[in-house]
Amino acid sequence: MDDPTLSHTLLVVEDSDEDYEIFSRIIREVDRFDLSIARCVDGEDALDYLMSPEDHPLPDLVLLDLNLPGTDGREVLAELKQDDRLKVIPVVVLTTSSNPEDVYTCYYAGVSGYLLKSFNPNQFRATMHQFLEFWFQATVLPSSN
Amino acid sequence: MTSSVSPESSDPNTQVRAEIAILTDPDLVPSDVSLTNCDREPIHIPSAIQPHGVLITCTEDDFVIQQISQNALQLLGQPPAALLGQPLSKLLPPNQLDQIRGCLAADFEQVNPLQLRVNGRDMGGVAHRTETVIVLELEPLDNPQPIDFFDFYRWVKAPINHLQQAQTLTELCQTAAAEVRQITGFDRVMVYRFDSDGAGDVIAEDRRSDLEPFLGLHYPATDIPKQAKQLYRLNRLRLIPDATYEPIPLEPLHSPVTQAPLDMSLSVLRSVSPMHTEYLNNMGVRASLSISLLCNQQLWGLIACHHYVPKPLSYPLRTVCEFVGQAVSMELLTKLDKQRLVERVRLQSIQANFVQSSSRYQSLLAAISHHPIDLMVLADASGLVFCEGEQLIAFGQTPPEPTIAPLIHWVSQQLTPPALLYSTDQLGKVYPALADHQVVASGLLALQISPAQNIHLLWFKPEVVQTVNWGGEPKQQQGVDAEGLPYLTPRQSFERWQETVRRKSLPWSDLAKEAVLELRGAIIGIVLKKVDELAMLNADLQRSNSELDAFAYIASHDLKEPLRGIHNYSSFLIEDYGEQLDAEGQHKLETLMRLTQRMEDLISSLLHYSRLGRADLAIYDTDLSAVLAEVLGVIQMSQPESVEFRIPRSLPTLACDRIRVTEVFTNLISNAIKYNNKPHKWIEIGYITPDEDRSILPETLDTDQMVLYVRDNGIGIRERQLENVFKIFKRLHAPNRYGGGTGAGLTIVKKIVERHGGRIAIQSVPREGSTFYFYLGQ
Repeated sequence: MDDPTLSHTLLVVEDSDEDYEIFSRIIREVDRFDLSIARCVDGEDALDYLMSPEDHPLPDLVLLDLNLPGTDGREVLAELKQDDRLKVIPVVVLTTSSNPEDVYTCYYAGVSGYLLKSFNPNQFRATMHQFLEFWFQATVLPSSN
Repeated sequence: MTSSVSPESSDPNTQVRAEIAILTDPDLVPSDVSLTNCDREPIHIPSAIQPHGVLITCTEDDFVIQQISQNALQLLGQPPAALLGQPLSKLLPPNQLDQIRGCLAADFEQVNPLQLRVNGRDMGGVAHRTETVIVLELEPLDNPQPIDFFDFYRWVKAPINHLQQAQTLTELCQTAAAEVRQITGFDRVMVYRFDSDGAGDVIAEDRRSDLEPFLGLHYPATDIPKQAKQLYRLNRLRLIPDATYEPIPLEPLHSPVTQAPLDMSLSVLRSVSPMHTEYLNNMGVRASLSISLLCNQQLWGLIACHHYVPKPLSYPLRTVCEFVGQAVSMELLTKLDKQRLVERVRLQSIQANFVQSSSRYQSLLAAISHHPIDLMVLADASGLVFCEGEQLIAFGQTPPEPTIAPLIHWVSQQLTPPALLYSTDQLGKVYPALADHQVVASGLLALQISPAQNIHLLWFKPEVVQTVNWGGEPKQQQGVDAEGLPYLTPRQSFERWQETVRRKSLPWSDLAKEAVLELRGAIIGIVLKKVDELAMLNADLQRSNSELDAFAYIASHDLKEPLRGIHNYSSFLIEDYGEQLDAEGQHKLETLMRLTQRMEDLISSLLHYSRLGRADLAIYDTDLSAVLAEVLGVIQMSQPESVEFRIPRSLPTLACDRIRVTEVFTNLISNAIKYNNKPHKWIEIGYITPDEDRSILPETLDTDQMVLYVRDNGIGIRERQLENVFKIFKRLHAPNRYGGGTGAGLTIVKKIVERHGGRIAIQSVPREGSTFYFYLGQ
C-alpha cells in the first residue's frame, strides 16, 4: 500500500472545460490524496507534454478522454504505448463512449482501465472516488523517478 | 437410314448403289422399322423404259447390242430381233461411234448429249457405263439445232445471274422455282426441302396463278421412298413427259451378260414406279420433272415441276435445268452457312442484349422476368420456365406450375455430367406424366445452370401441328376416289404427315442449343457478378454500418456532453447555493435536471435502438424460466409495489439471444406494471405450443411456432392506438403520467423480436387489460 502522503502527478487529457470543472470539483471534494494535476486540452497538447520530460516530470498516471479535437485520444494512446519510455505509465480512459469497439480497441492498445462519464453527478462522483482510491491508494505505481 | 458401305470404295456413286442394293435386296430383313414396302421396291431395275425414247445396251469392247427396248421399231425403224447381237455400227456411222467412245472416255456429263442421226432421224443421245455394259439412250429431236457452248451459255446466263443475286436461302429457292418455270414452262414449280426425318416441306413455289398454292405444305417421309431418294443423288434430273404412259419392256428382260435385270440407276428413260405415276394421276399431274438439290453430297431437296397436260422437254432445256439445279446446290451451302451466321449473330445480339440489361437488375430472376421474350426467341420456343431454389416463374405457354418441379427432378436424373443440356421433341413419350400437355409441351429443352442451387431454365415447344404454316387450307380436290390407295392428294399427304408429327414438336436446332449453352456461361457470369456486387454491397453496408455506429456514438457523445454539463451544473447550483434559493428556484433547477435526464434517456434509447438492427445476435438455447426469474427479481427490487405474477407453467427453453430476450421481458413486464391503475395488479406470463388451441391468437401473428405472452389487467390500449405503441418515441400518455418513459421501450421490443425472425402482436380491451403475444422465429 502506498503512503497516502506520497505525491503523485496525474495528467488529465480533457477538452471539455465543463467536464474538467466537474472532475476538479470532485478531486477537491475528496482531498485525501496529494495529487498534482496537469491538464492538456487535446491530443497534440498531451503528446507534446509527455514527449518533453525536461520541462516537467512524467505523470504517474494519465486520465484520457477519447473524443478529442484534432489528435484523437485513441491516437494518443497508441503513441504512448509504442514509446518505450512512456508505455509503463498506466493510462485510464474516461469517456462518454460506451461503444464496445472503443472499449475493445483501448484494452487491445494496452489501457489500464476504461471508465464511463456517468450522466448522474452522484454516480460520476462514486466512479471518481473508486478511481482515486484504486490508483492512488490500493495500487503500486511504477515510480517515475 | 444409314447402311454400312464397303470402305474400300469412296466413290459416292458406288456407295449410293450399295445403299440402294441393301434397301431393295429381298433377302435382307430391314433393320429399320420405318422401311415400308415402297422403300423396298427395286425401282432401279424395272427392265422397262418410258416410251419417249429408246434404250440400247452393248458390250464395251466390241459394241455388240445386248438389250434393246421393245419400241425400237417405232423409233429406229428396226425391230429388236433385227438388232440384238448385232454391232452398234449397224445403227450408227463410224464418226458417231467415235463420239460415243469419246464421250465414255471423258467425263460424260460434259459431252452428253450426243447429236446423232439414226435412220434419217435426228436423235439426241446420252451414254453411260454400268459395271458390265454401255447404256445408250436416244430421244428424237423435233427441231434439231446444233447446240454449241455459246448457245448453252446464253440460256443459262440470265438464270445464273438471278440466282447469284439472291441474298437468302428463301430468295434463292424462290428464284430457282421462278427460273425453272421460265425455262420449262411447267404449270407449277416447287422447291422441297427434306428435314432430318426425311419429311418434306414446300419452301418455294412458282405457279400458274389460277392454281391453288402448295407452299407451306408438308409431306410425310413415306411420300418419297428411301431408295428413290438415293437414286436422286445419282441421277439428278428425272423427267416424266406423260405420267399415263405405258412402260416399254427391254428385250430380253434380263441382261445376257449378267443374267440379271439391268441396273438402270443412271438411265434417263427408266420407267418409274407405278406407285409414283398413281400419285401423280391422283393429283391430276400429267407431266413431272424433278431436279435434285444436293448439299454436302446429301440430298437436301428437290425442284419439283408439275404440268397438267403432257409435256416433253428437250435435251438442251433439261441440261439447262440440271445446270440450274447444280448452281442452286452450290449456292445452298453458302446460303445455309450465311443463314446460320445471320441467325447466330442475331441470337448473339439477343444474348448480349440480355446480359447487358441484366446488370440493371438485382437478381437473375428479375433479369429473366424482364426479358422472357428474348430468351424464348433465343431457343425458338413458345414457353419458358425459370427456376431458382424454390422459386418458379413461367412465361408464355408452359405446362401447369405444379408439374414443373417433378419434371426438373426427372431432367436432372437424365443429365450425366458433364452434360448440361437435355432436349427432346417428344416429351410425352419419354416423360408420360406430361403426355396430356403435348399441345404446349411436346418439345423440352432444359438447361442446368446450378444443380446445387436448383437453378434451371426450361424451354417448351408446342406440338408441330400447332405451329405449322398451313400454307393456306388446301381444298379437298374434287372427283378423286380414295379407294384406299396410299397416296391421294397433297391435302391427304399433308394430313398423313400431320399424323406422323402428333405428339412431336419441331426439332431443337443446333444453333438454339449452342445459343442456350452460351447463355448459360453468360448467366453464370451474371450470377458471379451479382455475388461480387453483393459482396461489395455487403462491404459497403458494413462500412456504412460501422460509420453509422461511429456516428451514433459520436452524436450521442456530442449531445450528451453539454447535457451532462447542464445537469451537473444544476446539481452543483443546488448543492452550493440551495440555501440561497427559494422553493420555486430550487424547483426550477430540479426541473432542469429532470428534463436533461429525460433528454439523456432519449439519446441513450435512440443509440440503443440504432444498434439493435446491426449487432449480431448471440443465439443459444436459453432457459426462459431462468430469464424470467432474473427479470422479476430485478423488477421487484426497483419497483417494490405489490404485483401478483402469475406463471401457469414454467417457461420452456428456446434458441434465442439471452440478453435481448431479457430486455424484451423486462420491458413488457415493467410496462404491464406501469400502465396499470387497478388496486390489485396481476401479470401473467405464459406460452402456447403449436399443438394447443391457438384460436385466441391475433391473426396478424400468423405462425405455427410456440407463442409467448405477457398478459395484464392494466389500462388497456384503444384499438386505434394499437399500431402506435410500437412507433419510436410515440407516447400515448403525458410524460408525467404512468411514470413516463422514453417511448422507445416497445419499439426496441418489436425490433428484438423481429431480429429473431419473429413477430409481436397485441390484444387489448381498454380498461380491462392487454396481452402481448410474440414468437421468436425458428
